[in-house]
Amino acid sequence: MALIGPSGCGKTTTLRMINRLIEPTSGRLEVNGRDVINESLTELRRGIGYVIQQGGLFPHRTVAQNIATVPRTLGWDKSRVADRVAELAELVGLELTMLDRYPDELSGGQQQRIGVARALAADPPVLLMDEPFGAVDPIVRSRLQDELLALQQQLHKTIVFVTHDLEEALKLGDRIALLNVGGILEQYSTPDELLRSPANTFVEQFVGEDRGMKRLALKSVAELPFETGPVIPDTASSSEAVATAEAQGVEWIGLICDDRFGGWVRVADLANGSVPADAERFPPAAQVTPDSTLRNAMELIMTSRTSVAVINDGGHFGGVVSLDAIRRSLVSEPDL
Amino acid sequence: MMGPVLGQAAVPRDIGVFEFLFGSEYWTGPGGILASLWDTLVMCSAVMAVATIIAVPLATVLAHHGRGELSITWVVTLSRAVPTFAVAGLLVPISLRRGWGFEPWPIFIALLLLALPPIYLNTYTGVRGIDRGVIDAARGMGLSERSVLLNVELALATSVMLAGIRVAAVQVVATEPIRAFLGGDGLGRYVRDGLGQNNDNLLLAGAILVAGLAALTGTIFGLMRRLLPPGVRRLA
Repeated sequence: MALIGPSGCGKTTTLRMINRLIEPTSGRLEVNGRDVINESLTELRRGIGYVIQQGGLFPHRTVAQNIATVPRTLGWDKSRVADRVAELAELVGLELTMLDRYPDELSGGQQQRIGVARALAADPPVLLMDEPFGAVDPIVRSRLQDELLALQQQLHKTIVFVTHDLEEALKLGDRIALLNVGGILEQYSTPDELLRSPANTFVEQFVGEDRGMKRLALKSVAELPFETGPVIPDTASSSEAVATAEAQGVEWIGLICDDRFGGWVRVADLANGSVPADAERFPPAAQVTPDSTLRNAMELIMTSRTSVAVINDGGHFGGVVSLDAIRRSLVSEPDL
Repeated sequence: MMGPVLGQAAVPRDIGVFEFLFGSEYWTGPGGILASLWDTLVMCSAVMAVATIIAVPLATVLAHHGRGELSITWVVTLSRAVPTFAVAGLLVPISLRRGWGFEPWPIFIALLLLALPPIYLNTYTGVRGIDRGVIDAARGMGLSERSVLLNVELALATSVMLAGIRVAAVQVVATEPIRAFLGGDGLGRYVRDGLGQNNDNLLLAGAILVAGLAALTGTIFGLMRRLLPPGVRRLA
């Protein structure tokens, strides 16, 4: 779940109330169905991983010692701690040689990984992340986000993630809570719903004017209905090819041989009656995988000569993506 | 009060500086250089121990709770304004009237007032200067307040704190010789005797001893950094 909103909206405060770094003045806050107020502070916090910007690592402890903080306070024996540290280092993609170094000897991205590893050390069911990727450059941030998503695929934790970056919230959140100044919850929904039907003008302004475009980033090519597009087997005759091209109103036609995409040929080259298989072939410039986002597919289509992108499903031809299909995916939802 | 002290080996009037400093008969025995040095070291160690025991916990706890920000200003001002010699001189008659004698309370208290500010200031600013995120993360991970204070705050402030203790130690060692002018003994006696007996060489030798001890103290405290755990040592 992602908590997002403008400065001063209380997203960090909300997060810090969960592990009681800030005491709630009223209301109930439950973790695992138990009111946090009734839990002992240390017990509660040891069951909740906490990651902050720049990691908040102990500068006087080595990377390994940092990761081992909670297991050691829990009194694990040495070999178990060492095993766990090595396991976590691998999980977050740290080289084992880094374990004996100090945090300030490593890059911001590495420090952030250590912060995540440290928070996961005792395998807490809940993870709180307070703008963890706010202090790293965009390239590293994007990679860390991908890693976090991959990590979550394996771990299935409950993660509460504070960010002020809408893109980040849309990318990482299964659900997004959009807060307004004063701690007012404006909308709590899935990313797609937030973009498709903003609850009010504040939400509308916050998500921006290009929310349709943003939704494209949330959808993958695999979600589109299957479409073959202007594609024929390479055994077809030239008249079949020309007929298909005319029916679809395109100037290029794709060839399939053995379930693979064999390249594009120009319809004009087939006018003299030559067989499509003999025509000059052009490799597909626009190629996507089923996991690609629609935004990515659209970008490729807009910049290529053909009007569709070919789906490469692990080497096999998986259909095509057309701009029209992308457009339809945005309007097909019933309540718009 | 300024006359030759009983038990001291007689120092000839025409003695050379090196003759005195390298003459073994002046080092040993009651009233010898070693005995005076011991006197001084005992006084300085006691002052430093008490100053550290008072200032470090007080500064750490106040800084931990973010209290006493104003105390910093006071301590800085006071440490610059209080003349050690005058404080000790003021305390001597009080001590005498109460029957506590010349030694050791007046000089002890005066030196204590000299040693407290640097230790307090450095410890306080050392703890306050720690990145809030580090402390936040430590708490968020479920470390107890005690552990946050000892294993995080104090550990991270150690280097700065030690620098304060070093400054205090050098000041105390360099100032302690005024004790010889307040009815006491210690390494300052040669300066006093040199002045009293109009013996310039003795005076100079005494000054060399005092300066040498102060320099040595600074060096030793500097070397103490090496005893710190590697993680803490590399921070400063």
